[in-house]
Amino acid sequence: MPTLVTSQTRDFTEQLIAHEAASDQPSKKGVPVAFLVCEKLRRPLTALAGAAGFYSLLLRALTLAKREAPGLGTLQVKADGELEDAGANGNNHDAEEGTFLVANLIALLFSFIGETLTLRLITDVWPDASFMSQGSTGNDSPLTTEGTEKHEPQG
Amino acid sequence: MSRKDKVIINKLLTGVPGLDEIMGGGLPEYSFNIIAGAPGCGKTTLAHQFVFANATAEKPALYFTVLGEPALKMLRYQQQYTFFDHAKVPGAIRFVNLNEVILEQDLDAVLREIIKQVEEINPGVVVVDSFRTVVRKANGVVGEMDLQGFVQRLALHLTSWQATTFLIGEYSDAEIRDNPVFTVADGIFWLHQIAERNSVVRKFQIMKLRGQASVPGLHTFRITEDGLQAFSRTLGLTKRRSKNVTSRRLSIGIPELDKMLGGGIPEGDSILVAGASGTGKSALATQFLAEGIRQGEAGIAAVFEERPTEYTARAGDFGLDLVTPQTNGKLNILYLRPLDLSVDETMQEILDAVQKIGAKRLVIDSLAGFEMALAPGFRTDFRESLYRMISALTGIGVTILSTVELEEAFTELPFSTYSISFLTDDIIRFRYVEIDGELRKVLVVIKMRGGNHSKDIREYEITSDGIVLIGQRLRGYQGLITGIPAQVYRPDEKVAPSPKPKARK
Repeated sequence: MPTLVTSQTRDFTEQLIAHEAASDQPSKKGVPVAFLVCEKLRRPLTALAGAAGFYSLLLRALTLAKREAPGLGTLQVKADGELEDAGANGNNHDAEEGTFLVANLIALLFSFIGETLTLRLITDVWPDASFMSQGSTGNDSPLTTEGTEKHEPQG
Repeated sequence: MSRKDKVIINKLLTGVPGLDEIMGGGLPEYSFNIIAGAPGCGKTTLAHQFVFANATAEKPALYFTVLGEPALKMLRYQQQYTFFDHAKVPGAIRFVNLNEVILEQDLDAVLREIIKQVEEINPGVVVVDSFRTVVRKANGVVGEMDLQGFVQRLALHLTSWQATTFLIGEYSDAEIRDNPVFTVADGIFWLHQIAERNSVVRKFQIMKLRGQASVPGLHTFRITEDGLQAFSRTLGLTKRRSKNVTSRRLSIGIPELDKMLGGGIPEGDSILVAGASGTGKSALATQFLAEGIRQGEAGIAAVFEERPTEYTARAGDFGLDLVTPQTNGKLNILYLRPLDLSVDETMQEILDAVQKIGAKRLVIDSLAGFEMALAPGFRTDFRESLYRMISALTGIGVTILSTVELEEAFTELPFSTYSISFLTDDIIRFRYVEIDGELRKVLVVIKMRGGNHSKDIREYEITSDGIVLIGQRLRGYQGLITGIPAQVYRPDEKVAPSPKPKARK
C-alpha cells in the first residue's frame, strides 16, 4: 500500500518537529518531540472530533507509521488519545520514528479536511511557527503538489 | 407606544440567496431557532451558510457537533461549497465536539459545557448539530419537565449571551406539537425533501418566526455547489412598486396586426398567442421582441424548445438581427431546459434576467415547453406559479407574450390547453383553415382586456419578412373558425385570392 506521506508533508513535519524542539520545555525532557507534537494536537483535534475521533485518527496514523518504522511497535494510543509506550525501553524512540507518526497524522488530516484547513489548525497551535507563513497556509501550498489523490484514505 | 419606542430587532443576513426575502428581511438577532427536517435535506448546509455569512473574529460562531456527522467528515464535505471560507476556521468559526459529554454525562453537564464554551469564546452564533441527539439521550433518562427546563435554560443563557442560536434536528411533522423545544424556539424552519417520480423536490417552510412577518407557505429551494438557494413564492416582488398605468401601446412589429389589436399591446399586458405547430407563434414572438429592440426596449426570450443559437438563426431568416442586441445588453435569450427545474427557480431566473437588463418585453416560448422543463412534482403548481410570475412581472410594467401550442381541432376553437386564459389580458389565435384545397392560415384577436379590437378573421402567411397579413377580412366563407369553412356565394363580394408566399430562405 502506498504511503499517504508525500516528501513535502515529511519536510513540513520535520520543520514542525524542529520548531517544537526549539521551544524549551524542561518538564518534558526525555519525551520524544514528535510525541509532544501529537500531544499538542490532541486538544484542538479532540475539541473538533471528540476524544474518540482523535483516538481513531492517531491510532490510524500510528498503524501506518509502524509499517515504515517498526520501532514504533510498542507504542499504543490510550482511549483519551494520549500516547503510551508499553515497551521495555519506555519512550526511547529515535527522531525519525516520531517523524513518521506525526507525518502520517498530518497526512491523514490532509486527506480528510484538506491541506488549507489542516494547516490553519496547526497554525492555531503554533502561531509563531515561521515556516507556516511561507505560503504553506494558502491555497497554493507546496504540500499539495503531489496531488490530492495521494492523500485519499487507503484501505 | 409610538413606533420610535419599539425595540429595533436587528436582522442578520442568512447567506442563503432568496432566504432573507422569505424571512422578512433576515433572521432576528439573538433569536433561538430550530432547523428541522429529514436526513439529507440540507439542515447542516443551511446552518453552515449562516455561520460563514455572519461569523467574525470579534463575534465568532461556535458550532457544537453531537453524535451526528463526525466533525472531520462534516468539514470535508462542507468545504466543497463555495461559501466555505477556510480563513474563518478555526478562528471565526470554532467547532466543539460534545460526544463524550452526551454519552457519559447528563443534561446538566451538557448545559455546563455549552455555557463554559459560550462564556469563553463569546460567540455571536451558536449551532448545536444535532440537538435531536441531545434530546433523544435525555428522553431516556429525564422527564419532559426536566427537558423543558434544560431547553429553557439553554435558550435563556444563549440569548443573554447575545448569541443567535440554531438547534438542528431530524424531527417529524408530528413532533412539533409535543416537543418542548418547539415551544421555546423563536423560529422554526422546516426543510422538506420529497421524491416525486424521477425528481426530488425540496421545499422550505417557516413554521414560526417571532418578531417579524415572514412569507408564509412552502418555498422551493435548491442545493448546488454554492449551497442552498431559496425561491420565494412571491418571487421577491412583494415590495416592488406596482405598475404605473400607462395608456402606451407597444407595437407587435406587424402594423396591420397592431391595428387589429386596437393600436398595439397595452404596456404591461400579458398576451397569449395560441395555435397549432407551424402556425408562426414563435415568428410572431420574435417580431415582437425585435420591434421592442428597434424602439430601444430591452427584451428577454425564455425559450424551452430550441437553443438560443437556433432561435437567433431563425430570427435571422426573417431579417431580424437578434445577435447584436445580445452583445449590447438589449436582449437575453434564456434557454431553460433541465428536466428537474422547479417552477419558482425558473421564474427567478427569468426575473433576474428581466431586472438585469431592464427588460420591457418578455417572451415565453412556449408554455408547453416550460411545463415540460419542470420536475413532475412542480407541474401541478404550474398554473399557480405562472399566475404569480405573470402578475409580478406585469405588475412592474413588463409586457409578456407567451406562446402555447394547441392540437388543431376542426370542430372547435380552443384558446389554450392550460385553462390559463384567465391570466392573460389578450389572446391572439392562429389556426389552419382549408380553403380551395389549400391549407391556409388565419388569425383572429380573441380578447383584448384593455379595450376594443378588430373581430376580423385575417389570413396571413409566414414569409421571409416574418408574419405578413394578407388582404382584408376573409369574406365569402362561413365556419372559418372550424377550420373547414364553407364558401358562401355573395354576388357583390370577391372570393379571397390565394396568397403568393415568398419562398423561405
